[in-house]
Amino acid sequence: MADIAIATEKLTRKFGELTAVDGVDLQVESGQFFGFLGPNGAGKSTTIKMLTGLLVPTAGRVSLLGMDFAEHPVEVKRQIGVVPEGMGLFERLTAPEYLEFVGRMYGLDKPTTRKRSDELLEFMQLADRSKTLIADYSHGMQKKLALAAAVIHGPRILFLDEPFEGVDALAAGALKELLGRMTERGVTIFLTSHVLEIVERLCSHVAIIRRGRLVSQGSIDQLRAGVTGAEGRTLTLEDIFLSVVGEGADRPQVEELTWLT
Amino acid sequence: MADVNTGPIAEPGMGPRLPGLGEQLQLVAWLRWRSLRNGLRNKNRRMDLLGVVVSGVFSSVLVIGITVALFVGTKYIFDEHHEKYLGLIFLALLAWWQLFPIMLAGFAPQFSFKTLLRFPVNFSTFYLIGLAYGLADAAAVAAVIWMASMVAGTLVSRPSAMPAMLLVCLLFAAMNVTVERLLGAWLEKLLSKRRSREALFGIFILSMVSLQFLNPILQRHGNEVKAIVLKVLPYLWLLPSSFAGNCVARLSEGQWLPALMSLGGLLVYVAVFGALLWRRYARLYAGEELSEGIAPATRARRTASENLDDSDSLRFLPPQVGAVFRKEVSYLKRNSFLFFSLVIPPIMVLFFSMQMTGLHGWAFKKGPSPDLFFPGMMAYLVLILMAPSYNSFAHESRGIQTYFNSPVRFREILLGKNLLTALIIVCEMALCIALVGFRAGWPSPPILVATLAAMVFSVVGQLTIANWSSLSFPKKMEFGKMQGQRNSGMSVFLMFGVQLLLSGTSALILFSGRWMGSPWLPAQVFTVLAAAAIGGYFASLDALTELAEKKKEVLIEALCR
Repeated sequence: MADIAIATEKLTRKFGELTAVDGVDLQVESGQFFGFLGPNGAGKSTTIKMLTGLLVPTAGRVSLLGMDFAEHPVEVKRQIGVVPEGMGLFERLTAPEYLEFVGRMYGLDKPTTRKRSDELLEFMQLADRSKTLIADYSHGMQKKLALAAAVIHGPRILFLDEPFEGVDALAAGALKELLGRMTERGVTIFLTSHVLEIVERLCSHVAIIRRGRLVSQGSIDQLRAGVTGAEGRTLTLEDIFLSVVGEGADRPQVEELTWLT
Repeated sequence: MADVNTGPIAEPGMGPRLPGLGEQLQLVAWLRWRSLRNGLRNKNRRMDLLGVVVSGVFSSVLVIGITVALFVGTKYIFDEHHEKYLGLIFLALLAWWQLFPIMLAGFAPQFSFKTLLRFPVNFSTFYLIGLAYGLADAAAVAAVIWMASMVAGTLVSRPSAMPAMLLVCLLFAAMNVTVERLLGAWLEKLLSKRRSREALFGIFILSMVSLQFLNPILQRHGNEVKAIVLKVLPYLWLLPSSFAGNCVARLSEGQWLPALMSLGGLLVYVAVFGALLWRRYARLYAGEELSEGIAPATRARRTASENLDDSDSLRFLPPQVGAVFRKEVSYLKRNSFLFFSLVIPPIMVLFFSMQMTGLHGWAFKKGPSPDLFFPGMMAYLVLILMAPSYNSFAHESRGIQTYFNSPVRFREILLGKNLLTALIIVCEMALCIALVGFRAGWPSPPILVATLAAMVFSVVGQLTIANWSSLSFPKKMEFGKMQGQRNSGMSVFLMFGVQLLLSGTSALILFSGRWMGSPWLPAQVFTVLAAAAIGGYFASLDALTELAEKKKEVLIEALCR
C-alpha cells in the first residue's frame, strides 16, 4: 500500500450554527497531484485552512505524512508549503527580502536561502523587479512570488489555493511543468481551482465537496465511471462536476431571467 | 428559484428612464445610510457609533454656541457701525470651511463619489453631485448655519442691509464649496500615489511637531515676527473674505461703486475656482485613473542578492528570531508614521527642556530640578515609544498567514518584534539622556540608577502586557494612511491604564526615597522589580504562544480583511 500523505478523519468545522465542513474523510497518497473541487461556499477554503493549520477543526483530526497536526504542528509545518487564499505576503518587503525571510523561518541557512531565492526569482521572471515592493506587484506577480515562497524549503506536501489565478499563460505553463516534476519526485500537491480544465490536465485524483460534505473522491477515471449517461462520449471533468454538484435545485435556471433571455 | 422580474423585455436601444438629479441624490443618501447601518452589525462599529453620538453632542453644543455668538456679533457690528470687522468673521468662516474638512479627513468615514461614474450620469449632473457632496460636509453645514445666523442678525439690526448680506453669504458659500471640493480633488490626486502619500504624511507630522516650537520662537523673536505680520496685513484685502465683508459694509453705507467692485472680486473667485473644479471633474469624468500603477519601480538589472555578503550579522540569534527582526527593520524603514514617531521624542525632549529647565531655558526662570525633570522625560519616552507595541501586528496585513504557516512558535516571532522595540528604546534613551544632561543637567546618581532600573521594569513589564494586547485585540492598519488608523478601543484603554498604573507606581517609589531619607531605596526597589519583570516576560512567552494558537482565527480575520 502506498504512503498516505494527507489523511483526515471526520474533519468538521462549524461557524456558530453553520457547519462549513461536515465529517470529511480524505486520503491522498504521496506523490499524487490531487484536485479539490466544489462550488462557491462548499467548504474548500475552510478545509484547506484546517489542513494547513490556519483554522482549528471543531471535530476530527488531520494527519500529514503520518503525523497528527494538532500534536506536532511545528514538525508538520516544516514539511509543507502553502499558497493560502490571499497569498499571505508581507507587502512592504521586496521579493528577495520576503523569500529570505521565509527561508530563514524554515530554518535554511543564509547562503542556501540566497541561492534558492535567486533561482526562484529567475524562474518566476521576477528577478528584474527585485527592488520593487510586493505591494506594487500585480496580482499575477504576487501569485508567482507566493508560489516561490511555498517551495523555497523543498516541501513534501504543497497546498495551492487557486495557484494560477492571474498568472500569465507563459508562466503558468512553466509552473505546471515544475509542479509535475515535483510530483514525479514524490511531492504531494493538493490543489483547489475553479478552472476545471487545469485540474483535469494536472491532477490524477480529485475530490468534490458540496455543502461541506465530500460527495466524490478517486481518480478521474473512477469518477468518470461512476457518472451515468456517458453514452459514446468521454466525459470531461466539467461533466463529472456538474453531474455531481450542479444538478437539481442547486443549479441556477437561466430560463427564469425572462427579461434577459 | 424565485422570479426576478416579470416586466416587459427591454427593446434593443431602449434603456430604462434615467433618474433625475434629485432622485440620484436621494439614491446616494440611501446608499450612505445603508452602508452606515450595515456597518453597525459589527460589534466594534457599535462602539464607534457611541463615540460618534458623544462627539455629535459636543459638536452640536459648539455649533449652537457659535451660532448665537455670530447672531449677537453681527447685530452688535451693525448697531455700533463697526461694519469693517465683517471681513474678519468671513475670514474665520473661510478658515473653518477649508481647514476643518482636512483635519477631519483622517477620522471621518469617506465615500468616494467618483464611484458613481459607473452609472449613466451626464457631466453636469456629476459636477452638481460633487458640489452637493461638498454642502453635505459637516463643516459646510455648520458654516451655512452660522451664515444664516449672520443674516438673521443683520435683519434684526439693519433690515435694509439684509438682502446684501444674504446675496454675499450665498456667493461666499458657493465659493467655499467650490474651493473645498477643488482642494479635495487635488489632494485626492496627490494622495493616490503611495510614495507621495507617505511623503506628505511625514511632512504633516513634522509640521505638527514644528508648531510646538512656535511659542518659544515667538517669545524670543516676537517683535520681528510682529513686524512681518504687520507688513502682510494690508494684503489681506485680496482674500475673498475681505471682498465679502467689504461688499456688505459698503452696501449698508450706500457706497454702491466700491460695493460692486467687492462683489465683482468675490464673483471672480467663484468663477475661477468653479472653472478649475470643472476642469478637474472633467478629467475624472473622462476616466482619469488615480490608483497606483502596477509595478512602477524601475527595472533592476541584477538580482538583488548578487554580490551581497552571505555572512549573517545576526547569527547569535536563532534564525527565526533574526528573520523577524530583519523584517521588522525593513517595515520600520518603510513606515513613515512609525519612522517619524521615532524622531519626535528627542525633538520633544529638546522642546520640553527649552520650555521648562532653568539651566538653558527661558520660559521658567527656575525650572524643575534634574532629579525631577530626568525621570519625567524618561516616562514620556516610554509612553510614546511603547504605544505601537500594544497592536504590534497592525501592519502585517495578510502576512500574518505566513507566521501561522511557518514552522515556528509564536515566542520566536514575539521575541524578534520585542527585540527591535527594546533596541529602539535603548538608542532613543541614550540620545535623550545626553540631551537632558546637556540641557537640564545630570540627576543625582541614585535618581539616575533608579530611573534606568524603572525604565527596564516599565518597558519589559509593558512588553508582556502589550504582547497579550496585540494577540487579543488586533486591528489592521495601513501604511501611509491617516484615515481610520487607530488601535482598537480595548488596546488603547489597556495602554493608558497600564501606563497610568506604572507611572503612578514608579513616581511613588521614586518619592519614597526622599520621604524616607534613603536615596538609594528606589534604585533597589526598581532593580528587584526589573528582575521580576524580566523573569515574568520570559515566563509569559509560552503562554502567549498558546494564546496565539487560540486567537489565530481572530488575528487572521482582523488583519487579512
